[in-house]
Amino acid sequence: MGEPLLSTEKLSNHFGKVCTALDLDLRFEPGVLTSIIGPNGAGKSTLINLLTGHLPVQAGKIRFQGRDITRLPIHERVRMGICRSFQVVNVFPELTVAQNVMIPVLARTGRAWRPIRRLSRETALMQETEAFLEKVSLLPERDTPATALSHGDLRLLEVGVALAAAPTLLFLDEPTAGMNPVERVRLLDNIRQLAREGRSTFVVVEHDMDVVFSLSERIIVLHRGEILCDGTPENVRADAKVREVYLGDDVSDLFRYREE
Amino acid sequence: MKAETRNAVAAGAVLLALCAVPFITGKFTAYLTIRIMLLGIFAVGYNLLLGQTGLLSFGHGAFYAAGAYGLGLFGVHVSTHPLLGVAVGVAAAVLLALLVGYLCVRHTEIYFAMLTLACGMMVFSLVWNAREITGGDDGLIGIVRAPITLFGLADIPIARENHFYFFVLFFFALSVWAAHRIRRSPFGLALAGIRENARRSEFAGVPVRRYRLAAFVLSGAFAGLAGALEALLESNARPFMAHWTHSAEPVLVSLLGGLSSLTGPLVGGAIFVAMREIIQRFTENWMLWFGILLLVIILGFRGGVVGTVSALFRKATAPGEG
Repeated sequence: MGEPLLSTEKLSNHFGKVCTALDLDLRFEPGVLTSIIGPNGAGKSTLINLLTGHLPVQAGKIRFQGRDITRLPIHERVRMGICRSFQVVNVFPELTVAQNVMIPVLARTGRAWRPIRRLSRETALMQETEAFLEKVSLLPERDTPATALSHGDLRLLEVGVALAAAPTLLFLDEPTAGMNPVERVRLLDNIRQLAREGRSTFVVVEHDMDVVFSLSERIIVLHRGEILCDGTPENVRADAKVREVYLGDDVSDLFRYREE
Repeated sequence: MKAETRNAVAAGAVLLALCAVPFITGKFTAYLTIRIMLLGIFAVGYNLLLGQTGLLSFGHGAFYAAGAYGLGLFGVHVSTHPLLGVAVGVAAAVLLALLVGYLCVRHTEIYFAMLTLACGMMVFSLVWNAREITGGDDGLIGIVRAPITLFGLADIPIARENHFYFFVLFFFALSVWAAHRIRRSPFGLALAGIRENARRSEFAGVPVRRYRLAAFVLSGAFAGLAGALEALLESNARPFMAHWTHSAEPVLVSLLGGLSSLTGPLVGGAIFVAMREIIQRFTENWMLWFGILLLVIILGFRGGVVGTVSALFRKATAPGEG
């Protein structure tokens, strides 16, 4: 194992008496497509929120590319290369699809401070924006306001805005939630393709076990804020503790989507 | 492109009409037009904060006053050069906005509004009480409209109303142009992103607080410009420029005209000044009637006058779209 992209040291978080992260020691290696799974309330979203700066860290340390980022504000983490998408669509509603993607591109390239220059004259920005829209297959909708998009397209845009920050490490929080099967396949193909290109390392939180096992090279199973199991899909599938948790706590979770 | 050409033609027509005003109308109309332009500068800048960035400030009167007193004090003690005076007034407003903004932008919504209100009223009482410097409740008097000397090459007199009218028109056009460009710029888009979704803006890599501060200071600069020009117009600066009732003017004007366009606050400003003049002829309690009018417009015209009219216009020109 080389230098990890991101690592945590005894990362903990409590909401009152509920523990959502307990002494988590994690390493994310570059280029390994990782999934985080676990029953509801296992601390998956909390983990992402802590790593990306959405939640302040109560205890423990986070390092990114060797640098301590535990107390770094969100936008600086984004600038360093950590970004995320959201479980509930969280875009810029009144702006067009293209404008949604432009904001992260502008911020990343330091061009967002230009107050007098015309947006329409920023040709490099336009090209880059279109390239990102192409990646999430939203180019035909470029001038549509985000509010007018279908749910599936909104999810694509959600991922598109996160991608446009050109992160080295990208967390996707249930990217396919509420999508129909066609859209889901399209998005997953896109993610696979992007992961293969190797510019970003993806960490995906998912409920759909088909997705998780077909997509991931590594799976982390969380349970009550602790790591229950961490390994290849085969390891996880064979793990007795994982079965116990899923069968004991929530029978339907592991098999829910198979039935659809 | 087509819409852009149409807007440019419309802007040109309005500019021409404004140029014609002092020649074809009486002194009083010209004076009212100046007041409309001053309120226009104030409101157009203010709307960069409210309409574009989504921050409601109740303290911009303080920056207006900073512009007026900045120019006034500079004029009384240092130099009466109007351009230098305006520059000093704007600089004073920017400095004050930096200070107030730095304290206020860490909060949003109602907390932000109340903090700006508190800061504005502090400035008001400071101006009111510092009688030796500001003249207290008498205001700062003795501000003169000296001619603009351009490096000894030319003297442009602005003492006469007609000349001063064009002095104001110049700054008005400049302000509207600047606000237009800012709204269409990368910076303007970043501000709109903050208005639409501040959290996501952070995750897009935008340092939200710094951008909010920038928008705050920018709108403060416009307020300062308007204040400096008013000091020249009225030959005085008054503490009530910093009062919260004055801070509420650009809010009302923006709501009246519509928050989401450049022209909204301008049209709102024109309506505001005209209504005040008309209603004041009939009754002392003009605010009562103005309040009723505002109520009707806010309830009846969604998106302000400009928003409603342009929506009607779109409907009329594109009947195919339901």
